[in-house]
Amino acid sequence: MTINWFKYASPASFYFLAGRMVPYFATLAIIFLVVGLYIGFFVAPTDFQQGEAYRIIFIHVPAAWMSMFLYVIMAFWAGVGLAFNTRLSSMVASAIAPTGAMFAFLALWTGAWWGKPMWGTWWVWDARLTSELILFFLYIGFMSLQAAIDDPKRADKAGAVIALVGVVNVPIIYFSVQWWNTLHQGASVSLVQSPKMATAMLSGMLIMTLAAWMYSIVMILTRTRLIILERERHTAWVSELKEGVLE
Amino acid sequence: MKPRHKKMAVIALSVSALAVSVVLVLNAFQSNLVFFFSPSQVAAKEAPIGKSFRVGGLVEEGSLKRVGDGTTMKFAITDTAEVIKVVYTGILPDLFKEGKGVVAQGKIADDGVFYADEVLAKHDENYMPPEAAAALEQAAKAQKTSFTQ
Amino acid sequence: MIWWIVKRDLLLAMRRRSDVLTTLFFFIIVVSLFPLGVGPEPNILRTMASGVVWVAALLASMLSLGRMFSSDYADGTLEQMLLSPVSLAALVTGKAISHWLVTGIPLVLMAPILGIQYDLPGDALLVLTLSLLLGTPVLSLIGAIGAALTLGLRGGGVLVSILVLPLYIPVLIFGTGAVEASSAGMEFGAHFSILGAFLLVSIVFSPWATAASLRISMS
Repeated sequence: MTINWFKYASPASFYFLAGRMVPYFATLAIIFLVVGLYIGFFVAPTDFQQGEAYRIIFIHVPAAWMSMFLYVIMAFWAGVGLAFNTRLSSMVASAIAPTGAMFAFLALWTGAWWGKPMWGTWWVWDARLTSELILFFLYIGFMSLQAAIDDPKRADKAGAVIALVGVVNVPIIYFSVQWWNTLHQGASVSLVQSPKMATAMLSGMLIMTLAAWMYSIVMILTRTRLIILERERHTAWVSELKEGVLE
Repeated sequence: MKPRHKKMAVIALSVSALAVSVVLVLNAFQSNLVFFFSPSQVAAKEAPIGKSFRVGGLVEEGSLKRVGDGTTMKFAITDTAEVIKVVYTGILPDLFKEGKGVVAQGKIADDGVFYADEVLAKHDENYMPPEAAAALEQAAKAQKTSFTQ
Repeated sequence: MIWWIVKRDLLLAMRRRSDVLTTLFFFIIVVSLFPLGVGPEPNILRTMASGVVWVAALLASMLSLGRMFSSDYADGTLEQMLLSPVSLAALVTGKAISHWLVTGIPLVLMAPILGIQYDLPGDALLVLTLSLLLGTPVLSLIGAIGAALTLGLRGGGVLVSILVLPLYIPVLIFGTGAVEASSAGMEFGAHFSILGAFLLVSIVFSPWATAASLRISMS
């Protein structure tokens, strides 16, 4: 049996598919969040250097990861929309931006709250912090550009250009701690090395990351549904939906 | 030029421009684009003279002393090769400990002492419970003694 | 083709000299405000000189971006250019070059004089000027993308700053870094290497991205 994936590239069928998927992902997000927070605050041991304050890692690291992942995914879908003129991919890209910006902000904010007790400062202009701040600005730029353009087609494509230009920044954030002497410590978890964390700490952090993923999916699907409704409001299926014929 | 040749020329030029830029970046990374200098770099006179800069390294074991009023501290930063003496007045971050990472901002005076305006703790990327840290330390000590024997 | 555009834009700029001078005077006034606001302490002025001059150059270069395409857009020339068989990438390269010649070069020439206001020593003045010479074309090239994307939008001026300024940050960091390194008696070649790399990469990618953006904005 072959599934016709392109069927779901049509906004109308995606709308209903996404609507059916949201509750599952929302449930998963809540489960992962509760388990992750429980492990983070009750199971994971106290750190040998940082004591209890290190526990902010359970929010900080997932938020920082998501802010970078989501930017790449956003640029990818925006680029697909630009290259192949697929409306849905551009809508998904626009739906990702606010969640990505929120995670970038959260990473910066929790980082400041971690930096003050540990490093002794809220903020330093080292490469990791500066490039993450630029990432936040790039999200803001993407959103304000799209908001300023009334024609959705032009908004999608113009946003795609700025999203793709900004992708350069993501590897800079990730590798900044290796390329420069930064105050920010290196990566504790990477694909090529065994993690430098105790297992309970690591599992808490990974489960929190899963929670952040699930939350992002819920937010992106919901927001994409709203964008679809807004843009397709003159079509027959949306008016039928309004009259309660469908669903 | 035919359009096809022109296109080839543009592509060739672009590729070579990108290649040169990679060389330039790699060349820059061999130099000192850094957030802080190590004591060895300071000893080799690579750090600025008469200007504020940052020194990073480990706080040397047994070097921390409080002087006079109790808020002025003397300690030494080492990268195991070179050592630099630091004087600092103010509050130290919680993580500041002998043998741990530190980044200090300040100036070197004529007497070779680094007068810091700000001291930040730099921690590493290892997270573990205290028992595990103690066990690791034990293991390291055991290894050291077996080497010396 | 590129040179034809450059020549035409320079001629237009010469006919409307006041536009060029406005940008230059904006740069001079912004730089001159800081000593008045911060106070005349020479040591403080020397340490902030490179940063102030660079930030003012960023702002001046950005504020003049609006003119890069807007007058051609308003009188329909740009539409004809898009329809013509010549390569759009070459055309926008010409536009960026003339933007740099009209706004970048005057800033570079003015920088040493403003640096003297800040009591910068001779070699730091030289490094500041060279770093601007290498950095301002990058500003014009990156700015072209922003100018093309915001063409004809309401509130385009503020929007272009949100889009373009974050992308200017690396140029600012390495431009001022070179001056700081040199005035501290250190090696500053690395900063120039990076600025040079920025310039090459933006020469390759910016015309292409700008051309794509213009097509998006004009369709």
